[in-house]
Amino acid sequence: MLTQLIPLVVVGPMAIAAALLALAHVLPRYVPDVIAIATALGLSAFCGLLGAYALNHGPLTYWFGGWTPGRGVVLGIGFGVDPASAALAAFVGLLFAAAFVFAWGYFDEVHAHFHVLMLLFLAAMVGFCLTRDLFNLFVWFEVMSVSAFALTAYQLETPSLSGALNFTVTNSVAAFMMLGGVGLIYARAGVLDFEALGKVVAGAGHDPVIAGAFCLLAGALMIKGAILPFHFWLSDAHAVAPSPVSVIFSGAMVSVGLFALLKLALQVFGASADSRFLMHGLFIGLGCATSVVGGLMAWGQRHLKRMLAFSTIAHLGIMLIAVATLSATGVAGFLFYAVGHGLVKGALFMIMGILLATKASVDELDLKGLGKDIWPAGIAMGLGGLLLGGGPLGALDTGTRLVHAAAIAIGPLATAAIVLGSALTGAAVLRATGRIFLNLGPDPGDEAEAPSQKDQEKADRPLWLMLAPCLLLLLLAIVPVDGAKLIVARMAGVLASPRSADGAPPLPGTSLVLPCLSIGLAIIIALLDLFRERLPRPLVSATAGGTQIIFRGLKVLHSGLVGDYVVWIVIGLATFSIAFAFH
Amino acid sequence: MSVLPWLVAAWLFGVGVYGVATSRNFIHLIGCLSVCQSSTYVLLLSLGYRWKAVAPIFYDHPPGTLAVDPVVQALVLTDIVVGATITALLLAMALRVDAKHGTLDPQELRPLQGEGH
Repeated sequence: MLTQLIPLVVVGPMAIAAALLALAHVLPRYVPDVIAIATALGLSAFCGLLGAYALNHGPLTYWFGGWTPGRGVVLGIGFGVDPASAALAAFVGLLFAAAFVFAWGYFDEVHAHFHVLMLLFLAAMVGFCLTRDLFNLFVWFEVMSVSAFALTAYQLETPSLSGALNFTVTNSVAAFMMLGGVGLIYARAGVLDFEALGKVVAGAGHDPVIAGAFCLLAGALMIKGAILPFHFWLSDAHAVAPSPVSVIFSGAMVSVGLFALLKLALQVFGASADSRFLMHGLFIGLGCATSVVGGLMAWGQRHLKRMLAFSTIAHLGIMLIAVATLSATGVAGFLFYAVGHGLVKGALFMIMGILLATKASVDELDLKGLGKDIWPAGIAMGLGGLLLGGGPLGALDTGTRLVHAAAIAIGPLATAAIVLGSALTGAAVLRATGRIFLNLGPDPGDEAEAPSQKDQEKADRPLWLMLAPCLLLLLLAIVPVDGAKLIVARMAGVLASPRSADGAPPLPGTSLVLPCLSIGLAIIIALLDLFRERLPRPLVSATAGGTQIIFRGLKVLHSGLVGDYVVWIVIGLATFSIAFAFH
Repeated sequence: MSVLPWLVAAWLFGVGVYGVATSRNFIHLIGCLSVCQSSTYVLLLSLGYRWKAVAPIFYDHPPGTLAVDPVVQALVLTDIVVGATITALLLAMALRVDAKHGTLDPQELRPLQGEGH
């Protein structure tokens, strides 16, 4: 019975989006908001229900059009609802509901285009999570991309358009790579269903075509997941998208991309020695590099939305480390981390929206000391910074500790990269909080005249309305989730082998040392940066020289030119094949 | 299956990417992106091709006649639709940029660069 209702998870939001598009001009003003919030919440609850059912009774499968596999041939396209995918889909729905509440009254126009695009985006993301067909995965990837492109360019100003153009071009190249990968593996296997593909891959041994398909698919999903050197589009797009859209981009879209990589690596390429070699070697290295570079770039920004975008890149690097271990602990850590990070980052982007609405700026120096009258936002932002920096509280912390536990086998470098990445991103947010809401730090003087553009988001919304969803997300982010560890361990077990019914291995115990180290480092870096002037002068000039060189180098690389980004994509793909040469 | 279609697909992808990487005009760049995309059409269609096979329509053929693979053709059809959507969206954005900014050169349209401090 429940199985027959599975298609509703994508058909529902799409049908409602179509109805809204047709009827928006006759509906009263706030009706589209209410409908959108109700849809997202309903979808979230339904996915949660499906997940709970799948947890108790095993994964559910729905074959579209009744094309069930027969005589060993899988022709149909299926949705496979395993508990982890359903839980992630439920989380995505919840985040959308929060973003819709935050966007209440944000858009003046009567046609509800924003809600239509967002609902399409939601349907695509849920389909992307639940599908078990490789080509269907590509279709959802594209639907997700198209609605995301349009939402980025929504304001139709020059910065948002150029950011959206970079986003569109790079992610279109990702789509072509993905389709090429789908084609290659179809050439070998003749099927597109995950499970059937997994069997073929297991029987194939070393096959350059399958290895090539894995490279293309992984490359495409790592462009979506913004992993070095494919990450450049993210900071352009997230910095210019409307704040409610950035909430979804950073909170859900990118981590869902990595989730798909995880699923493919486990269910399709699980038995391929080539893909394991690449995951355990190169991808862990890329994850570490992404974490550190993202952290450094975040710390060096004064445009706050760009800073949060780079912070997302750093955390995606950490998530990639978790994915690439392919261990039960790593997978469980990824699930906690994706949800925890999504909640915190969603809340932080909402605070950026509040700053844009009330202060008409997101420039850190420009805003110095201006946040006094909206102090509740400051408390929320400080809390968000502490959580990002590794504060030992809530889902993000549980995830971080599990990732640390999974990364112990890799060596101290991975551990250091994770600590440094989270400490730097936390430090950046804490520094901005101190400067804006506590008026700390040196007077910026002439520097306050920012080179970054002036931008404002719609101003006449009540503060409490914008703050409520933000606080709700933060509240969810600090709820202790250690009790859910057993359930998530089972989810991770089912994800790795949907057929086996054996119990999941228990997750390892975790220590408080690394989170405390990370948060301590974050606070120290933030304070050092704010009170630079009171430090001994020789020390300041010595460190300033070194950091200047690093930042200048990183800035040259982040050129903002789409041509450069595409070259980096090619370099990344070439790196994959060079790595294989050493296999 | 001949190796030629693979080489054509790789070549098309390569020149398309080269065009995107070096383009100084967004309309030209979008055209290059379409070239890139056509490499996937060639790849997919050649994957499903069978020598001496008919089109997968069995109206006037007995069932069991050797036919080319209809699955990849369905994939290509879907891909064309998606490609058209993206090209239309990109062209619309490029027109909008031209109207606002008076240029289509990516060099002059860099997204905001956060300054370090």
